[in-house]
Amino acid sequence: MSGIVTRSLTRRALLQRASQLGVMGAAAPLAMELASASEAAAQAASGDDYRALVCVFLYGGNDHANTLVPYDRRNHARYAAIRGNLAFRRELLRDTVLEPRVPQTLTDDQRFALAPYCPRLKVLFDSGKMAIQLNVGSLITPLTLAEYNSPDRAKYPLPPKLFSHNDQQSFWQALGSEGSTIGWGGRLGDLALSSNAQSLLTCISASGNAVFVSGREALQYQIAPSGAIPFRPVKRLPWSTPAVSAALEQLVTRPSGHLFENELARLARRSMAMEGVVNGALDKVSLETSFDLVPGENPLADQLRIVARLIGARRELGSKRQVFFVSLDEFDHHNDLAPKHAKLMAQVDEAIAAFYMATVELGVASQVTTFTASDFGRTLASNSDGSDHGWGSHHFVVGGAVRGGRYYGTAPHMSVETDDQVGQGRLLPSTAIDQYAATLASWFGVPDSEMATVLPNIGNFATRNLGFV
Amino acid sequence: MASDRAPASDTEAARFLLRAKFSATSADIADLRRLGYRGWLAQQFAAPRGQTGAEWLDAAGYGAITEDGRYFWPQFGDHMIWNQLLAQPDEMRQRAAFALSQFFVVSLNPIDGFWPPYMLAGWWDVLARNAFGNFRTLLEEVTLNPAMGMYLNTLGNLKEDPASGRQPDENYAREIMQLFTIGLYALNPDGTPKRDAAGNPNETYRQEDVTQLARVFTGYDRDMSRVERTDVAWLDYPVPSREFCRDPMVLDPAKHSALPVDFLGLHIPAGTDGRTALALALDHLFAHPNVGPFFGHQMIQRLVTSNPSPAYVARVAAAFDDNGKGVRGDLKAVWTAVLTDPEALAPWDPRTGGKLREPVLRYAGWARTVGVESETGKWEIYDLSNAGLSLGQSPLRSPSVFNFFRPGYVPPQTAIAEAGMVAPEFQLANETSIAGYTNFLQWAIHTGYADVKPTYAAMMDFAHDTPELVRWLNLHLAADQLSSETCALIESAVAGLGVTAESDEEAKRNALASACLLVMCAPEYLVQK
Repeated sequence: MSGIVTRSLTRRALLQRASQLGVMGAAAPLAMELASASEAAAQAASGDDYRALVCVFLYGGNDHANTLVPYDRRNHARYAAIRGNLAFRRELLRDTVLEPRVPQTLTDDQRFALAPYCPRLKVLFDSGKMAIQLNVGSLITPLTLAEYNSPDRAKYPLPPKLFSHNDQQSFWQALGSEGSTIGWGGRLGDLALSSNAQSLLTCISASGNAVFVSGREALQYQIAPSGAIPFRPVKRLPWSTPAVSAALEQLVTRPSGHLFENELARLARRSMAMEGVVNGALDKVSLETSFDLVPGENPLADQLRIVARLIGARRELGSKRQVFFVSLDEFDHHNDLAPKHAKLMAQVDEAIAAFYMATVELGVASQVTTFTASDFGRTLASNSDGSDHGWGSHHFVVGGAVRGGRYYGTAPHMSVETDDQVGQGRLLPSTAIDQYAATLASWFGVPDSEMATVLPNIGNFATRNLGFV
Repeated sequence: MASDRAPASDTEAARFLLRAKFSATSADIADLRRLGYRGWLAQQFAAPRGQTGAEWLDAAGYGAITEDGRYFWPQFGDHMIWNQLLAQPDEMRQRAAFALSQFFVVSLNPIDGFWPPYMLAGWWDVLARNAFGNFRTLLEEVTLNPAMGMYLNTLGNLKEDPASGRQPDENYAREIMQLFTIGLYALNPDGTPKRDAAGNPNETYRQEDVTQLARVFTGYDRDMSRVERTDVAWLDYPVPSREFCRDPMVLDPAKHSALPVDFLGLHIPAGTDGRTALALALDHLFAHPNVGPFFGHQMIQRLVTSNPSPAYVARVAAAFDDNGKGVRGDLKAVWTAVLTDPEALAPWDPRTGGKLREPVLRYAGWARTVGVESETGKWEIYDLSNAGLSLGQSPLRSPSVFNFFRPGYVPPQTAIAEAGMVAPEFQLANETSIAGYTNFLQWAIHTGYADVKPTYAAMMDFAHDTPELVRWLNLHLAADQLSSETCALIESAVAGLGVTAESDEEAKRNALASACLLVMCAPEYLVQK
C-alpha cells in the first residue's frame, strides 16, 4: 500500500537528492496515505488487547545537532558559526521545517527543521504521529552545570563513564554500565510475561544480543530478518543419513554439567522449539506494505519488517505485550559526517516510515509505539569534518498513540558556552532516560506503583510522565 | 617450571596447540612432545614469516589497475585475511595476530577510498610483524598505521582553531586509553579493580585527559611521498600506487597542536615537536601499571579461558612487566606466560573451565586440520558476519572498535551469570547464530565454501574405520575433550553410512563430513577447555 513511501534509495541517488531541493517529493504520497489511512485504520483496527514497544537503537552516538537543526535565522546563524563546514545551509532545510500542530515557543525562539534526508519523518511529525523529546540523556538525578562540576559526587552522582560508547549504550538500555544484565525493556517484559501464550516471544531482538531486552525472567529471543533460522542439517542432510541428523539433534540439545556447554544446549533447544512455531505463524501473515528493499541495503528496514510480521502474527502466537529491539550501526561520525550521516538518517527515515505504515495496515498503529535511542549526542563543535562524543540528545517517538506534532522537554541553546552544556556543546541532559522510559512504560501498562522496579532512579525526578504518549 | 616441561601425552599436546595456534596436526604434536613447551615456542618465535597480506594480494593480481575499478573493492581484503588464517605457514604468528586484532581493533567495514584491501593488509602486517615483538613498538605502529588512522580518525586530524571553534578529534585519544592500554578502572596487578573506602572503583581518566591527549594525535596524514600516480582513460583523476597503505602516517607540524598537554599526570610543554610529544605520550601510557593486567587478562581470555584466577592474571602481568631480562612489554614473554601457566596446563574446572570457541577459530581449525585448497588460488571467502546465513563472525570485520564481544560480557539469565562468571564469546550466541552456524557447516565442510574446498586428503585412508575416524577427530579438533558417550553417539551415526575401504571417494567424503559436522556442533567441542 505504500511502496512509494519506502522506495529504496541508492547512495548516489541519496546524495543527489540531498543536493536538490525536491526532496519532499518522496514523502508527499506518505502525507496523502496518512490522511486516508487513518480512516482505513479505524475500520481495520481490531480492538484486540495488544501493545508493543519498539526500540530503534542508533549505535555509535547520533549527531543530534544535524538531525534536528535550527532553522530560524538567528539560531541557524549561531549553529552555522559553531559547526562551520558541518552545518547545513539554511536553504537545504526549507522542505523539512517542522510545523508543530499547536504553536510552541522554544528556547531562544528556536524553530527546527529535520535533516534534509528525513522527509518522511517530517510528514509523521506534521501529521501528529511523531513527537520529539529534546535533550534527553543519562542522569542519576537532575543536574545543573554547577552540580556537574561539583566535586561532591556523593551528593551529585554522575552516570558511570560518560562519553564512553559501550558504557553509555548500556546505560541507555539497562541504566548501568557495561556488564549490566537486566535492561528496562526486559523489566517491562517481566511484568508482561504472563500475558503471552509464548512467554519467549515477549522480548525480541531483531538485531544482535542486546541487554535492553533481557529481564529478570524474560529472556531475549533473537530473530533474523528472514525469520527464525532452522537447523537445516537436523531436518535433512542431503549428503548424509537421517541417523546423522538425529544424532546431531541429540548432541546439540543434550544437557551438560559444564555451564557453558549446558547454555549452548539450552539455546539450541530454544531455537529449535521456537523455529517451527514462529515460522509457521509468520507464513500466515500477509503484509503488503512495501519495505521495497534491496536486501542488506537498509538493515534497519530489514529488521523492522520482521518486527512488523511478528506483530502481524500476534494472534496466531498469542502475543499481547511485546518489546522489540532493532538497531543501526556506525553513527560514530568523527569524520566525514555529512555523507555518512546522510546515508544513515535516510535509512532511519525510510525504515521508520515504512514500519509505521505497516502498523497502519495491520490495524495496530495505536498499539505500537516506536522510539529512538543512542549512546549519546555529540559535540556541537566541529573537529573539522565530524563531531565528538557528547551526552544529551534529541529523540523521536512514533505511533498512532503518540501525542505528536510537538516537542517535549527543553530545547538547548545553540551554544558552546551556556550552562546547558558541559563543553564543546556536549548537552547536559534536561530530561533523564528514566523519565523517557517511564512515559513509554506507563503507556505499555506499567502501573505507577511498579515504576521504581523498572527504573530504579525514577524517584529522583519530579515528572514521571512526559506526556508524549 | 611448567614451561620447561613437555606434554605427557598427545592429548596434552593437542590441548596446548589448539590454544597456541589454530590446529594440532600429527606433526605438530610430535614436534611439541619432542621439543617441550619452551623449545616448541622458541621454534615458533623464530619461524620465518609466510607471505604478507600485501604480497599475497600482489600475487593474486589484486593490485592491478583495471577499468572495473577494483582498486575500490573491499572484498579482496576478506580473501586476503582468510588466506592468512587458513593457509599461511606461520600459524602461531597468525593466531597471535588474530588475538591482537581483537584488542587493537580495525574493521574493514568503514575503510574506503583507494585500495581498501591493501589498507587492511598494511594493518594486518603491523599485528603479524609485531606479534612476537614488543608492546611499545606495536603501540606506536598501531597509532601511526593509516588504516587505524582512518578507523579512529587520527588520519587528517587537525589542531584546534580558536577562530572557528574547531577542536581536535578525540576518538583515538579516548580509545587508546579505554581499549588499547589502561582501561577504565585502576587495576591491581592481578587485574582486579582497585577500590576506594566506599568500595567504588577508581576511574583511570577523565574527559579532560581525553581532550588534552587528543592534541598529541593532531597533524597526521597519509604518507604520499613514495606514491606514484597513474593517469587512466576512464577517470578524471589519477590512481595512486599503494605505498600509502603500508607506510606510517606522517606529521605535518603546521597542523599539529602547539598547546601544552596535561594528561594522567604527564606534562608535555607547549611547542614540543609532534614526534617527541607522541613518544612521551606513548611512553607514559606504556609505563602505566594497568597495561600488564589489562592486556594480559584479555590475551588469556582469547587463548585459554574466560575466567582466569587473579593469580594467573598476576603471573601474566608480571611477565609483561619484566620478561626476566628487565624488558617491559615483551610479547614473547606474554604468550609464554599465557600458554604455559600452571593453571592453563592443569585439569579444567568441570563446570566453568575454558571458553566458547569463536566461530572463526572453529572454521580455521577445521580447515588446517582436514586440509583445504583454493582451486583458483583466490580464496574467495567473503564477509561471513551474517549470523543467519553464514558463520556469524568474520576476521577484521568487527562491528565496532569494541570487538565482536566484550571481555566482561555476562550472558543474561544463565547459570554462568549466577556463578558470577563472564563468557565474552556468548555475546555472539543466540537462537539465530547457533542454527546459522550448523547451516554454514553443512556446505562449508562438505562441498566447500566458494572455491575453498576440503581435500580430506590425510583422512581418506581411514574414512571407513569409524572408531579410528572419531578418535582422530577427537584428538585433532577437540584435544580429546569429547566424552566417550559423545564419541559413541557419533560413531554409531557415522557407521550407519556403511562406508568400506572399497567405497568411492564421494561416499568417504560424506562420512568424513558427517563426522566433522557432529564433532563441530557438539558443545563439548564448542567449549574449548
